[in-house]
Amino acid sequence: MNAGVGLIVWIILYPLVAFSLGVLLGGYGRKFTARVQRRVGPSWIQPFYDVIKLMGKRTNISHGYMHDVSIILLLGGTVMTLYFVPVPGYHFFGQFGDFIVVMYLILIPSLGMALGVGQTANPNGSIGISRALQMLAGYELTFMLAFIGLAMKHHTTSMYDVILAQQTGGIATWSIVTDPLLGIAALFALQGMLNEKPFEVIMAPHEIATGPMTEMGGKYLGMMFIQHLILLVMELTFFINLFLGGALNWFEYIIKLFAVFTVVLSVNAVYGRFRTDTALRFFWKLPLPLAALGVLGIQFLAK
Amino acid sequence: MAEKLLTQRNAWDRVLSSLKKRSLWMLHYCTGCGAIELPPTMTARYDMERFGIMPMVTPRQADILLITGYLSVKTLKRVILIYEQMQSPKYVVGFGSCTINGGMYWNSYSTIKSLDQYLPVELFLAGCMPRPEAIIAGFNALMDKIDQGKANSWEDYYKNYEFYRKNQQHAFGDIETHHDIPSDGAYFGILEADK
Repeated sequence: MNAGVGLIVWIILYPLVAFSLGVLLGGYGRKFTARVQRRVGPSWIQPFYDVIKLMGKRTNISHGYMHDVSIILLLGGTVMTLYFVPVPGYHFFGQFGDFIVVMYLILIPSLGMALGVGQTANPNGSIGISRALQMLAGYELTFMLAFIGLAMKHHTTSMYDVILAQQTGGIATWSIVTDPLLGIAALFALQGMLNEKPFEVIMAPHEIATGPMTEMGGKYLGMMFIQHLILLVMELTFFINLFLGGALNWFEYIIKLFAVFTVVLSVNAVYGRFRTDTALRFFWKLPLPLAALGVLGIQFLAK
Repeated sequence: MAEKLLTQRNAWDRVLSSLKKRSLWMLHYCTGCGAIELPPTMTARYDMERFGIMPMVTPRQADILLITGYLSVKTLKRVILIYEQMQSPKYVVGFGSCTINGGMYWNSYSTIKSLDQYLPVELFLAGCMPRPEAIIAGFNALMDKIDQGKANSWEDYYKNYEFYRKNQQHAFGDIETHHDIPSDGAYFGILEADK
């Protein structure tokens, strides 16, 4: 009975908690970048103000049916994926779907975005979508290969079991310590997944006017912002769960979220943007061979 | 009754507007010379982002349309197209004396003299050109107006569309824009208060 009530509370609260963490992380990110540039920077909860402002717009121009539906698909797909990601105190849906399910589900938001942007018929948006799909061949492949290495090592594809296997001996059994090649490759891939520089080719505000978001305004953009913040937390959680031994409690989890995000932001703050083909070539030259080497190491060096 | 509905603000509206003023995205239309004052306003010295004001790249996402300096009749046409694409509430900020009375281009045959004949201007920043301090002070005044619920000149474009349309047509003949302003206003309930 109590477990059932707890589960329902989790299902209701989990997206809200992820959104709140996303607001804090997003605000931290903007503040961090501002401090690197020796500015004061915006408020710590600036994304919250942005979302409130966008949702409070009086006019919201729709480009048609698919444009409206795509936003629902975008946010709904993200929240659905989120339920399969275990965090401290919650791994219910993780029993029924492993990391491969998560990687399939995470394509639903991209699909929704592609359909909606297709209807807005803005060339910048279409370029953004084509770039997003091209970049998938870079970071998604790398991240999956790194995950396959872990799955071969622990004989499981479940994210929860990978966490349990890493928590047996403290830091010494974290994947990033035992398999540093996979960890480094996944960190590169995370930079691409979070769409931060130098892999910021999808948004590229100065080049293609924020790409897929070009025609989005008002509540549409507000929903995209909420989705983006949830996705930020989710993708950082992938890395924490798979390579940093998950977390035993929320304090540890939040510390790890901010620590990993700081690493990503530090790279973001000092690099310019790659071209799409350069970014793809970089992924295939450095992180992907690293991950492949890691997998070979697990295959042949393990006892 | 209608007048009362417009001016009446409950506690929830007050909270919302005090949150909304903290996030203003700015689309700057920089064909005039005033654009040179914006980089110092945005970067480390004056840092506009601490008020939540930041540049945005597309009209759909922006809240502020910053017109820096003179507008020729030809560029005014583009500005009107851009303005109509923005989502309300939206604020036009006239930057520099050229947008107020023509400034040093008063005698020119190809520029417009007063921006508020063609678009509802929320705020003018006087000066030729205004320094970053003046820009920041102006934006703070805009934030105060939003906080008090007085930044409503965008509604004027829906309500007095004939006036603006007539002036626009006088400047460059008939133009076709992508938005039907009166029906947009009716659809989103902005014109309802008149009934």
